[in-house]
Amino acid sequence: MRRAGLAWRLLRRDWRAGELRLLAAALVTAVAAVCAVSWLAERVAAASGYRAAELLAADRAVQGSEPFPADWLDRARELGLTVARTAEFPSVVLAGDRPQLVAVKAVQAPYPLRGALQLQPTPAAPAEAVQAVPAPGTAWVEPRLLDLLAIAVGESIALGEQRFGIAGLLVLEPDRGSFLTGLAPRVMINYADLPATGLIQPGSRVRYQLLLAGPEAALQRFRDWLPLDRPGLEWRTPADSSFGVRNVLERAQRFLGLASLLTVVIAGVAILLTIRHYAQRQVDRVAIMRCLGATAADVTALMAWKLVWLALLCGARGIVLGYWLHLAMLALVAQLLPPQIPPAGPYPAVVGLGIALTAMLGFALPTVLRLRQVPPLRVLRRELGQGVFRGSALYLAALAAVFLLMWWQARDLPLAVLVFAAVLATLSLLAALAWLLLRLLVRLRGRRRRLLWLFGITRRPLSTSLQIMAIGVGLMALLMLTIVRQDLLAAWEDSVPQDAPNLFLVNVQPSQVEAVRELLQAHGVSADFYPMLRGRLIGINDRTVSPEHYQDRAQQLVAREFNLSYGREPAAHNRIVAGRWWAEAEPRPDQFSVEIGMARDLGIQVGDRLRFAVGGEEVSGTVTSVREVQWDSFQVNFFVIAPPGLLEAYPTTFITSFYLPSAQRGLLSELVRRFPSVTVFDIDAILGTVRDIIAQGSRVVELMTSMTLIAGLIVLLAALQPTGEERRFESALLRTLGAERRHVRRLARAEFWLIGAAAGALGGACAATAGLVIARRLFQLDYGFDVTALLVGVLAGPLLVWLAGALATWRFYRASPMRLLRSGSD
Amino acid sequence: MRFHGPDGEIILFDNLHLDVRAGESVAILGASGSGKSTLLGLLAGLDLPTEGRILLDGHDLSAMSEDARARLRGELLGFVFQSFHLLPGLTAIENVMLPAELAGDPEAAAKAAAALKEVGLGNRLRHYPAQLSGGEQQRVAIARAFIMAPKLLLADEPTGNLDHHTGQRIADMLFRLNHDRGTTLVLVTHDQALAERCQHVYRLQDGNLVAA
Repeated sequence: MRRAGLAWRLLRRDWRAGELRLLAAALVTAVAAVCAVSWLAERVAAASGYRAAELLAADRAVQGSEPFPADWLDRARELGLTVARTAEFPSVVLAGDRPQLVAVKAVQAPYPLRGALQLQPTPAAPAEAVQAVPAPGTAWVEPRLLDLLAIAVGESIALGEQRFGIAGLLVLEPDRGSFLTGLAPRVMINYADLPATGLIQPGSRVRYQLLLAGPEAALQRFRDWLPLDRPGLEWRTPADSSFGVRNVLERAQRFLGLASLLTVVIAGVAILLTIRHYAQRQVDRVAIMRCLGATAADVTALMAWKLVWLALLCGARGIVLGYWLHLAMLALVAQLLPPQIPPAGPYPAVVGLGIALTAMLGFALPTVLRLRQVPPLRVLRRELGQGVFRGSALYLAALAAVFLLMWWQARDLPLAVLVFAAVLATLSLLAALAWLLLRLLVRLRGRRRRLLWLFGITRRPLSTSLQIMAIGVGLMALLMLTIVRQDLLAAWEDSVPQDAPNLFLVNVQPSQVEAVRELLQAHGVSADFYPMLRGRLIGINDRTVSPEHYQDRAQQLVAREFNLSYGREPAAHNRIVAGRWWAEAEPRPDQFSVEIGMARDLGIQVGDRLRFAVGGEEVSGTVTSVREVQWDSFQVNFFVIAPPGLLEAYPTTFITSFYLPSAQRGLLSELVRRFPSVTVFDIDAILGTVRDIIAQGSRVVELMTSMTLIAGLIVLLAALQPTGEERRFESALLRTLGAERRHVRRLARAEFWLIGAAAGALGGACAATAGLVIARRLFQLDYGFDVTALLVGVLAGPLLVWLAGALATWRFYRASPMRLLRSGSD
Repeated sequence: MRFHGPDGEIILFDNLHLDVRAGESVAILGASGSGKSTLLGLLAGLDLPTEGRILLDGHDLSAMSEDARARLRGELLGFVFQSFHLLPGLTAIENVMLPAELAGDPEAAAKAAAALKEVGLGNRLRHYPAQLSGGEQQRVAIARAFIMAPKLLLADEPTGNLDHHTGQRIADMLFRLNHDRGTTLVLVTHDQALAERCQHVYRLQDGNLVAA
């Protein structure tokens, strides 16, 4: 502990002398970035658990096809649970003599147990959140029902034998389920009114739910008590209704986590650069200390303790900064989150300290530990101990630290290896290019001796190529995060055309297809209709297919029925990647074309024989092609398509998608009125939500990248720092020999410009290349080499390096040469 | 004692013998490159002879590890260098405290303040080396050398970087402390006048010491 205390005092003296400030800044930035993401992820995940409960309107629910016995409710209340009953069924309402198919939901107070409904008293009034149920005798309805029935709030509708006054408009019902389930407009009534409607008869198709909320233990006891083995009875948890949401969240967290690691890696480069400079300055001091009685073990312990203290201090500051940063990020995505989210936990702070210590021990410790090799005799013979930092072993620990951090963050070894290899390849490429460029310059100077301004660069080839590499990395990060990201987003938005379909019509009967087509054409809308059948995959070749043989998505695919279609021509937006499409005029009917994702998940190849259960019969055929489908094109797509002749005999409906400008929305009412059985999906509403999420998400990413940007700037300053002393001495010497200050500055400026231009060009080229690879490989976007990034790099590089350099060196040109020469002798 | 130079070929000292008794002052004179500083390094245990022995207060340096010699240096030796070798980031008092701190002395600060006062820098405790003149810097170095009350003080051209007048004052201080505290003083110099103030004067010539 004596050494720990002395190390603490020595560190304070170092700090006062201005040493280690850049290193500390880099470390604080890295810790802040990681902590902010960690806190954000933790709290958003907890909030999304809460959100998932909203999607169920309860903590748990029991679902069945018959009313629940009264003693179930009593038992639940005994256990301290809050309960509410709901019943859902399709029916028809009448306004005057006008009928409309609706989805009725009868609810009992205190529904909803979790979340809230959004209700408008009138179409013009703003929506407000309510946790209530309609009063007996009244109904809340979806706004589009008013259009469909041409009625207003306050008028009444008939449901079965009972009349209901419309008392409000239901804008949002969180537990409505996925958009594919609720098709007809909602009518919500009080549970007490249910018997009076006379609609519930034995054999009616009703979905009853018993909603439950309360402590986890009570929920568990109630579950154990329930006879859940009864047919048709289902125990529902929030996770069931939020599978997709959770998936997306996990991916977003992983991405943000890796992005925060980019900050750590760049900060790591800054730490490597600054600690080298720091350690170099310590060589003389360590020699003196050794001379004054410090043992090698003393030196090791003092240096290690200094770093541990610094890591703890910077870790603490980074944690505080990260906490504020995550609050700012939360504010940016506030709209996506419920109003109350769980408080911040301590785990991210622990992570922050872990990152600080790992970065410090990985990046800085190996370098300072070399100081134990400094011989005490150096106090008398200055040439000793010069080469203690030689060798590449110093960087192995740094690389190991980076890899461990990536592995920990990605929690996925192959992904970690991939990202690590990419980072390593980029660094090596930058270093190699910088070195080549310098070789070229040395040659140029060799031929023309008068190029004095190349003097500084070519005389320090190693440190200059290191600077170019480091600044190049910083600039690459900056350019990737600003220009390339913007361009990528724009390219993505362009890839979804303005007239992408925004409406789907499903359930169009074969007899209605022509009439619907004519109605659409009368409004200037042309649409393709595709036949659609429900089928379940039951066999591949001789194998019987059943869900327990598969996992994840493949299991879902096998467990349920999915849509099959048939046709002669392939859809324009499909691409055949294996086998060939049936091009003959009369193709053999027993063939299938399979979507590539499904083929991959289920291990299906061209030549396999598939068996489907369609309408109770078995249909089989051979896979003759595999298709790539753009699911995000919003066109109608199918997993499996057959040629004409195989599936026509089975019950078929038709599906179409098209773009309808908002001015022509009136067409919808007419469509639904004339074809009540046709179901309409409005994609615009869903797209609006998706756009919101992307916009808010990218603001978080922007904040995140600003940390990376700061780390990049620190690298820039750190890269210039080691040559600062050399410059100081040179400047003093040149001026002593008669050079004007102006002349000395011009030399330095030329050098900064050249370093900046080289780093900018390399960084820009790497950023553009990375953008190209990301666009093509990850997003399948048609995106070219981003010349702007390269140009901005070449222009911004010299400017940035010049500014940073001027900042770091201006005092050398102001002070008198005598002073400089004297203070440079330490 | 025999010592091969860094290249291994040249024999720097051959059959060199030097005996210094407690409380004596000894000067070693020699031209540049004659090996004065190397000899000083050997006496301090910073380096070891190729052959022969160096005994310091009864300890055989050749038989000790580098760390053991470092500890011994901390206990027995004080150093004054031609270029002062103060740590630029530390104030005068912090520079003086350092050996005591390394030895874990809890009264390092008080002792350092007293030592600086003794060399006449009581009003300069919080100054950095760059804010002090050459003479003042060397006085800080002397205070640092004496804070652990060493038995042996090794001085390498202690006045070499100073003007005549300041050099005189520094030399006075060294001899006064040598006298008052009974510290043994070995100084290496090419300044004949400074050397003559010592009880014994040797000249380093062709790898051996001759009385001057």
